[in-house]
Amino acid sequence: MTIRPYVTSFVLQWKIGLRYRLAVLAGLVAQMWFGAISLMAYAAVYHHAPDVNAPMTLRQAMTYTWIQQSFFTLLPLGCLPAIGEAAKSGAIVYDLLRPVDLWNWWLSASLARLLGNAIPRAVLLAVVAGPLAALVGLNGWSLAPPASFEAALLALISFVLGAFISASIVMWWNIIAARTLSPLGTYAVGTPLAVLMSGMLLPLPLYPDWARELLLLQPFAGISDIPIRLYMGMPIPGGVVAALGIQCFWLLALTMIGRFWMNRTVSRMEVQGA
Amino acid sequence: MKTATAIEVRDLRKTYQVRDGGSWRGKTREITALDGISFTVPSGEIAGFIGPNGAGKSTAIKILSGILRPTSGIVRVGNLVPWENRIAHVARIGVVFGQRTQLWWDLSVAEGLALLRDIYSVEPERFKRNRDRLAEALDLNGIMDQSVRQLSLGQRMRAEIAAALIHDPDVVILDEPTIGLDAPSKLAVRAFVRDLRRERGTTVLLTTHDMHDIEALADRVIVIGHGRILADSPFEALQATTLSERILEADFTGPPPELFLPDGAVETERGTRSVTITFDPQRLPAPALVAHLSTFPDLGDLRIGRPAIEEIITRFYADHAS
Ligand SMILES: Nc1ncnc2c1ncn2[C@@H]1O[C@H](COP(=O)(O)OP(=O)(O)OP(=O)(O)O)[C@@H](O)[C@H]1O
Ligand SMILES: [Mg+2]
Repeated sequence: MTIRPYVTSFVLQWKIGLRYRLAVLAGLVAQMWFGAISLMAYAAVYHHAPDVNAPMTLRQAMTYTWIQQSFFTLLPLGCLPAIGEAAKSGAIVYDLLRPVDLWNWWLSASLARLLGNAIPRAVLLAVVAGPLAALVGLNGWSLAPPASFEAALLALISFVLGAFISASIVMWWNIIAARTLSPLGTYAVGTPLAVLMSGMLLPLPLYPDWARELLLLQPFAGISDIPIRLYMGMPIPGGVVAALGIQCFWLLALTMIGRFWMNRTVSRMEVQGA
Repeated sequence: MKTATAIEVRDLRKTYQVRDGGSWRGKTREITALDGISFTVPSGEIAGFIGPNGAGKSTAIKILSGILRPTSGIVRVGNLVPWENRIAHVARIGVVFGQRTQLWWDLSVAEGLALLRDIYSVEPERFKRNRDRLAEALDLNGIMDQSVRQLSLGQRMRAEIAAALIHDPDVVILDEPTIGLDAPSKLAVRAFVRDLRRERGTTVLLTTHDMHDIEALADRVIVIGHGRILADSPFEALQATTLSERILEADFTGPPPELFLPDGAVETERGTRSVTITFDPQRLPAPALVAHLSTFPDLGDLRIGRPAIEEIITRFYADHAS
């Protein structure tokens, strides 16, 4: 078995994603808007309670927010639309006609879509919220550079793991779409779940003490929260090893259980229609 | 790897479980789509698979292509059990579902073929050779850079056929490959399938509702109805056993008179200037019928032929419905 078809599929999906540049720009504007609102909210909270011993500084909260906003489309918000549509129309089984490993095949498409959506926005947002914001005098509101060279390197590894975790969760949504013959349920459940659990709505470090460590242990933390903490050099219970360990654990668990579940689903799938 | 028997099917059964009303709490009901069918297709043969709507053709095709598990029965395609060795099996077959696109809507034809090259691990040189040959034979050169979304039905179908053959499959399965095509496109597809078998010895199993496809292509016809095999024979044999009947069309210079036909012939249609007569040559030889008709003074032209294929099949389905 070669890796070639999956890479080609990834590249092609990526190219298709790039064709929708307008969507990227529209998304970027929305993300900037939400980012700015969150920042103003944090600024207000921090200024009114300056002596509270917060787990993050205002500056950290701002950087966290910018990166979360950049990677909004990296979150597993639901199934891959193409797979959801195919599940509905019954065309999904026709993927079995390809001599490929179905998990890797769908995974590469899912990953390509997540990254194809997220990376162009992230780059633009990094420029706008980073150097550009600093240039126009919004220094205190801008995206801070990584804590150190080492932090940048760890964050990069962690981001890659995070993207794979997210794509694996999308795979679970894909399986659910295949089982329920509809993509709708996955969006209805997936979007709020991912937004809440990833730290997109409220940064995970800002949750109350008792919840904070538990939240770090669930798979959605591995998508962007852990990479962002590494980027900013924030202390993580158990250190870098624990941080990357949690990510690797979830990636493995999601893949192994997901594969098993997918095989069961596929063997029971019946072709709908003609 | 080629074997003498390309496709072997024994006592194949498939029951679908359906929930009434579509709700997940509804009672389940069983639909028997295949009720124990058996047949074999030798290597290099073109077998036509026909039957009325809902007979179970597509169900059988899906099982043979490895995308559906049967309830029971034995299937071997080139010695592989499709649903047990899915990846190895599908790597060796080519499938076209006339009702579905297997190409990628967002990709151009050329990009789609390139993706298939990687999926099927076709060596670059062989790929180039096959692509050029298929583009030539199926007239794809003008549409290579068009995205599949933009293709007309006929163009898409030709692209689908190319896509199914880019990896030189030993066995090709076509489910209604000519559906919705205009006459020239149908002729082109038929010519292509014929050449494919002649030049490469490819085994072909095809379903169609167009009996001209069957007449033009099939060495052998398998008729299926209600999930069972009704007939399995060369096309001519089917034609002969089903209907020995002949059709005679008689034109008249004026309104046709009362004909007083002898036994063995019946009038089946009467126009303003013509009459169609169906007769059984065993009971009433054609010369006798012609002699009888010659007694009418305003008789014009006479034409004798076989019933249309569509008609044969309709009769055949009706005869076996009981
Ligand atoms: N996914 C499914 N679930 C339930 N019943 C099905 C399913 N697919 C097919 N059937 C039923 O199985 C029977 C055979 O269907 P099939 O599609 O094999 O027929 P066919 O011979 O291809 O017909 P057509 O000429 O109309 O294409 C039909 O009664 C159909 O309603
Ligand atoms: Mg059918």
